[in-house]
Amino acid sequence: MGLNEWLKGDPLTIAGHKLHSRFLFGTGRFPSPAVLQQALDASGSEVITFAVRRVNLESTMDDSLLQHVEDKPVIYLPNTSGASTAEEAVRIARLARAAGLGSWIKVEISGDPRTLLPDPIETLHATKQLAEEGFIVLPYTSDDPILCRRLEEAGAAAIMPGGSPIGTGLGLLNPYNLGLIAEQSNVPVIIDAGIGSPKDAAEAMELGADGILANTPIAKAQDPVRMAHAFRLAIEAGRLAWLAGRIPKKRYASASSDWAGSLYEPAAAGSARNRGEM
Amino acid sequence: MNESRKGLQLSMAMSKKAGLDFQLYAITAESNHPGRSLVDVMEQTLIGGAGIVQLRNKTGTREEVLEQAKALRILTRKYNVPFLINDYADIVLEIDAEGVHLGQEDMPIAEARRLLGQERIIGISTHNLQQAKAAERDGADYIGVGPVFPTNTKPGRPAVTTSYVAEAARHISIPFVAIGGISPSNVNAVLAAGAKRICAVSSIVGSDDPAEVCRSFLRQINSAAFGYKSITVNGQQEQSSARTIDELVVELGQQNKKLVVELNGQIVQRALWAETVLHSGAIVELVHFVGGG
Repeated sequence: MGLNEWLKGDPLTIAGHKLHSRFLFGTGRFPSPAVLQQALDASGSEVITFAVRRVNLESTMDDSLLQHVEDKPVIYLPNTSGASTAEEAVRIARLARAAGLGSWIKVEISGDPRTLLPDPIETLHATKQLAEEGFIVLPYTSDDPILCRRLEEAGAAAIMPGGSPIGTGLGLLNPYNLGLIAEQSNVPVIIDAGIGSPKDAAEAMELGADGILANTPIAKAQDPVRMAHAFRLAIEAGRLAWLAGRIPKKRYASASSDWAGSLYEPAAAGSARNRGEM
Repeated sequence: MNESRKGLQLSMAMSKKAGLDFQLYAITAESNHPGRSLVDVMEQTLIGGAGIVQLRNKTGTREEVLEQAKALRILTRKYNVPFLINDYADIVLEIDAEGVHLGQEDMPIAEARRLLGQERIIGISTHNLQQAKAAERDGADYIGVGPVFPTNTKPGRPAVTTSYVAEAARHISIPFVAIGGISPSNVNAVLAAGAKRICAVSSIVGSDDPAEVCRSFLRQINSAAFGYKSITVNGQQEQSSARTIDELVVELGQQNKKLVVELNGQIVQRALWAETVLHSGAIVELVHFVGGG
């Protein structure tokens, strides 16, 4: 069985939607719409995120993101960035849904302007409310296993714990917790925020995560298109490694070949014939 | 929106005498702004859109009034706005002001007319319909109608209420200006009674931001007079003549964008834009999608 068959037989299912890419693609801060489009193609992603903002009344040109991706068969995952309460997030979610592009929503409720860390209480309230309103809710959350369980109970379609604060590129600050969350959850776990490079993405996948959401490390890379492809490979590699089952860690060395038959095997340990046992 | 504003100015140009095509009348009251100069405060009213200025100084000497009049003459010329002086017809001539404003106890209109000639503006305060009709008969160019509400500018004078405003609107054909205790928070009642011109003293010059108070007055005057709505779009105050959401989106030049519209906190589906009526005070949000993670 080749790589393509392996991946095809292992879809990521969120709220009944089968995805063949485990890469959720953030669209912010790209140097140009053209680079964004090429990077999106290179990523293989089927889910793209974006934000809801006021239009610029000074301009009459269509400067929205959608015109650049309209022809692509992707799922739209708007976020609620800018919200600092559940009420604000719910309002943004409803506005996003009214655009007629589906009912997926990434709940993102910042509780602090410096770290942009998610407010756990408000995130839980918003997740519950939006799930009740029929949204497919993917909350961005802190890496707390108990909170993640509560979010799942509140109706989250997937759980999105952060590796580290948004845009920092610090990678996975608490792999132990992320591993626990991946292990306990009955819905997909997407590691969102703080991923710095494909290495972090592969590490997260090897911990048992079901997918990766990344934006800044691709958009702000020197070559976003190459980096998008690198992430795709890393995520696939990490997923296959997880399925393949890694070896346990040991304290001391263990040789790759059996000692027996070594050219330098000591004579004392030689054949029975030499010892006259035949 | 610029087109609409132009139309509005054209329709105001039909008033009787040059200089009376104003909507907002500002009057000095130095005691209301201690620590700030008369010229600075009055310049703020002009920046805010006041269309006529009156110097009113009941306590100063003639010399002092003359000095202030000279300074305000320069200022009002700079903004191309007519300048009137309360009571001192002689100073009007001396500094070439556009006219005088008289009280019921000041010199008769006929005498002022003789002094000032036909071209200059003569206005007079009135407190009942009888005085208003007398002023009209005697050749006043406009009358003040008030005090509509109780005011500290003229303590002890009983308020005439908006019923006198309504009477003036019905029976007086020369321009009339409602005055007395009017502020942006109560001006709507005065406009509803039929006033088209508003004068305010303390609520403008006693404010920390006279220009913004003037803009607030003008938004409401336009709204009442011309069906202009004062609405908030994406957090900004806008004047709009749009009747529906659909018209607003076109008026703002946003019809080519993939928008979601929220009106007073409720989403309006695109199919309903054409039939969703826009009222004054509406809070509208126009949002779309931008890149994000």
